[in-house]
Amino acid sequence: MTLTDTARAAGHPLLGGTEPPAPAPARRNRALRVASRPLPAVALVLLLAAGWEIMARASDSAFLPGLGEVAGDLWEITESGALWSNVQVTLVRVALGFAAAFVVSLAVGIAMGRNEWVRRFLEPAVLIGLATPGLVKALLCIIWFGVSLVNPVLTVALAAAPPLTVNIVQGVRGVDPTLGEMAHIYRLSPLTRLRYVWLPAIGPALFTGARLGIAMAWKVIVLVEIFGLADGVGYQLNLEFSQHNVAGVLAWTIAFAVVMAVIEYGLLQTVERRATRWRKVSVR
Amino acid sequence: MSASPIVLDGVDKTFISRRTGEKQQVFRDFSLRVEPGEMVAVVGASGTGKTTLLHLVAGLELPDRGTVTAGDGRPRLGVVFQQPRLLDWIPVEKNVALAARAAGVPRDDVAKVLADVGLADYAGAYPSVLSGGQRQRVAVARAFVVRPDLVLLDEPFSALDELTARRLRLLLQDLWLREQRTGLLVTHNALEAAFLADRVIVLADRPARVAREYRIARPRPRTPEDPDLFDVHREIVAALA
Repeated sequence: MTLTDTARAAGHPLLGGTEPPAPAPARRNRALRVASRPLPAVALVLLLAAGWEIMARASDSAFLPGLGEVAGDLWEITESGALWSNVQVTLVRVALGFAAAFVVSLAVGIAMGRNEWVRRFLEPAVLIGLATPGLVKALLCIIWFGVSLVNPVLTVALAAAPPLTVNIVQGVRGVDPTLGEMAHIYRLSPLTRLRYVWLPAIGPALFTGARLGIAMAWKVIVLVEIFGLADGVGYQLNLEFSQHNVAGVLAWTIAFAVVMAVIEYGLLQTVERRATRWRKVSVR
Repeated sequence: MSASPIVLDGVDKTFISRRTGEKQQVFRDFSLRVEPGEMVAVVGASGTGKTTLLHLVAGLELPDRGTVTAGDGRPRLGVVFQQPRLLDWIPVEKNVALAARAAGVPRDDVAKVLADVGLADYAGAYPSVLSGGQRQRVAVARAFVVRPDLVLLDEPFSALDELTARRLRLLLQDLWLREQRTGLLVTHNALEAAFLADRVIVLADRPARVAREYRIARPRPRTPEDPDLFDVHREIVAALA
């Protein structure tokens, strides 16, 4: 029996073997480890909530509502269906804007990373995009596009594209140029190069850019919805604010934060884990 | 089975040093012909233009003057570099399959060539878990799976320990005997050149010129311990010195 056969018989996952079932105590330990992973974050949230409640009771002010009041408003908007319908509207706007930014940034970022002339030509535009406040982008899009879907989508795209592009450019410039030569020699198609050479090679930079881009997107979508639209989380925040309902403002803010956390932990980190699975295999 | 000639005719190539801005002429009116099915090894001191020669043939560099023709003008290349240049994020089989698919070679050939290089059991492994020798075997498999018109080898085993390098030279010889492609090997290793090549060219000076040329008459399969090859090796080393 060769070493490889032995490894395969032992279920080495890299050699196509099946994972042997873990013994019960090992499974329990692993489950405990997984279950305890979010504990520090939960502890922080509980600590903040307790601090807030103490402050609210000590101040006895309408501007500092207690947790019970905030929870009541949260329950109300959830039960009425307002929460989901507005979150859905906001999410669609962010998703469309971010998708547009992603496609454009990827094309522009790769071009800038590979061609010095293109980089010099487009760099000022990216820097202007980075330096322009989100509020200015939001206001200009409201003026130009009014209440149409183009307004929030374009605002989100304009906010997300610059940080995405900057990171993609850095990622592309860090790619081993010899891989490009290999792709040229073996005549890999442009699509194959994009999928198997460029995207994985710039993966870490892409995820960093995506995080920054999405963070910018959340900021500007609220502004656009406050100033120029009649639905969405931002609009609801403004509505509660105009009625001096701080508990309502906090309820919408908490709901929004939960949605962002779900997207970060549930979506982005899952995709990132899958995309960088090969790294973990390498360091075993 | 197809084998193509490689012809460099009156080639000039000059680089401009990024550091000093000075022009450095690597080739001036340089000519070389590699016959179909012939393996030519190019040896020489560092900076004599060995890798530039290979890049010109691979189409990674263009000559300033003169012509470089290989096969029908757009030959199918199989290249093994000093570093294997694998995509670490996809398994071994996929690394080879991408090249095979681009060349229009049937998918079944991937498994066959992996078996040929002794990596049938590692098809699903990621390259980063392989040893240096195994990674270079993947590069060899990728070079041969495309059914190349030309095989270009750029110091393919210089980063490996001698024992592993020796095994891979024998593997390459086996593949060579079966495929009989036209080949250009660039190496610092005079014994490797003598073992693998039909003809060894010693490059010298800058701009480069062919200082010496050796025909290796030993029939294949050869053995690394062949005393005749050691004699040639000694002559090449003397010429290099």
